[in-house]
Amino acid sequence: MLKRALIYGKFRTNGIYGSFENGTRWSRLMSMYPPHYAEPIFKKDSQNMEKYELAKLSHVPIKAALNSSSDTIFNAELKQKMLAYIVKCGNSRLARELLTKTFEQIKRAQIERKHLVKQDNGHAICIDAEKLLIQAIENSRPLLQLSSIKRGGVKYQVPVPLTSKKSYFYAMKWILDAAKEKDRKISLSSKLAWEILDAAHGQGRVIKKKNDLHRLCENNRAYAHYRWS
Amino acid sequence: MALRVLGLNLIKNNINLLQNACRINATSTTQAPYCNQVTVHAAPAAVQKQKVSKAMKAYLERARENDEFMKTQDLDFQIGKRHLANMMGADPETFTQQDIDDAISYLFPSGLFDKRARPAMKSPDEVFPARKAAEFDETGRPFHSMFYTGKPNFFQLLHDIVEETNKLYDLEERMLRRGNKPDENQKIEMAGFQMLPKDQLEVKLVETIADIEYSNFVSSMERLIASPFSYKSKNFIERYLKPLIDQSKQLEVPKPKIDEQGRQYITTYECLRKTARADVTVRMPGTGKININGKDISYFDVEQCREQLLFPLQFSGLLGKVDVEANVAGGGSSGQSGAIRWGIAMSLRSFVDQEMIESMRLAGLLTRDYRRRERKKFGQEGARRKYTWKKR
Repeated sequence: MLKRALIYGKFRTNGIYGSFENGTRWSRLMSMYPPHYAEPIFKKDSQNMEKYELAKLSHVPIKAALNSSSDTIFNAELKQKMLAYIVKCGNSRLARELLTKTFEQIKRAQIERKHLVKQDNGHAICIDAEKLLIQAIENSRPLLQLSSIKRGGVKYQVPVPLTSKKSYFYAMKWILDAAKEKDRKISLSSKLAWEILDAAHGQGRVIKKKNDLHRLCENNRAYAHYRWS
Repeated sequence: MALRVLGLNLIKNNINLLQNACRINATSTTQAPYCNQVTVHAAPAAVQKQKVSKAMKAYLERARENDEFMKTQDLDFQIGKRHLANMMGADPETFTQQDIDDAISYLFPSGLFDKRARPAMKSPDEVFPARKAAEFDETGRPFHSMFYTGKPNFFQLLHDIVEETNKLYDLEERMLRRGNKPDENQKIEMAGFQMLPKDQLEVKLVETIADIEYSNFVSSMERLIASPFSYKSKNFIERYLKPLIDQSKQLEVPKPKIDEQGRQYITTYECLRKTARADVTVRMPGTGKININGKDISYFDVEQCREQLLFPLQFSGLLGKVDVEANVAGGGSSGQSGAIRWGIAMSLRSFVDQEMIESMRLAGLLTRDYRRRERKKFGQEGARRKYTWKKR
């Protein structure tokens, strides 16, 4: 505790100690909000909630919206998540640049494709890069995973269903990993663009990886009961 | 000689001592019911002859000492107050606590940040906390049936809550049989209230309670409030609730001024974020011009920072309808854009309705981001990260 009290942080006071509005004192004054602050709802659409919920929030102080959050149509949730996975060493500026370039290349490729095919079929081709990214992620989401469980001294590979959060994580990780396996001459953005386009159309390495995993789970389905017995 | 004995329990149970109680101290009526003060004259001969337990003797001695101490303190306070009043050229008879505080801050100006560390003069009742009353009579028997729990007031409170709850359950059953439904209009609104915090409950009970005991109190209170007929015991419940401040009406919205061209404008000074400092002016009928240190929005070369500037404007639907001028210094690009964003949002309050202000508050635009870089600690790799553990 002493070590924590030594930490110099400031939140409305200059001392090590300070107090909340309700009079309780806290000693861990640091670079963070007091625990009773609520998360901001920066999307206007999601502010339409029940009246009593709003009444509850009207008495709660709200955290400031983050620098990366903004109420625009360009800030889809999955895109933000993908952006966060691309970031290395906190260089979010570079990550943003890379993703913008990726989107540009996807769009160029799709427009090219649109012009190649005949006029009547051209409508079917999607040029919205953001939609394609979401499609790619949805296509490469795994449903099951193998986890090794020890029963009677023998380790079994047991298929286990994934939560939606985890499956999204794997989808994005696989896409990014596939993009990172490249020649040094090719930039990440172009490789990522191709991976996204492939996955969005249900082909490519990521989809193959997902299918392989599903097949493995299928083969090991005899051990599925070890999950609970 | 007056003897200060504390305790409501005394009045109820110990008639021997209280035969001689002459008056209840005037201050006692304002205090919590658990720590009332009773002034008792010295025990008469009849009581003195009775066998008094050693514990009671020690207690009476302590109570007498405390009483004397408080008396001298009070006398000192009164004299000090008179001196202060004379120094300030005011009437000592009508010198209030507010006047004392003002006089002290005038005579002893203090640069100390923490208000509790500054010089102060308060009445001894405030400075010295209330002591617990005698919990046993002169033969050593406790008054309270829950004396041996160690926290009689707290457990009595829990007992009372359960009693109220049971009463409400009975009522509910009777009403159900009669076919009556609870009145929805009278339902207790918990939105603006909070359960009494632990430290305040402790003061109220004159007992220290553990965290788990406090959570027991909270859960049993919640059960009481959840009952459909809880409004029937509203008086009881309200004693243990604390009203919350309405956040949306806390800050006053300034009225816009008029400039030479007849446009409304608002200037917000001291917009802070990280180490950036800015002042922002928003002019009402405008064309969406943005001027930052003499440049337009291209002052920021990062896309995210530009987006941040437009966030409050776009959120309130005033993008392209107002002009923004900002002077910003210090910090990096994200800090500067954050400072300007806060300034714009704060200024825009004058040009939108109350509903939009609340909406902006919920979006986190009106909160000042006070977070700062956390320092690196010695023996650690960074602010939080520790060095890799190596056995040797």
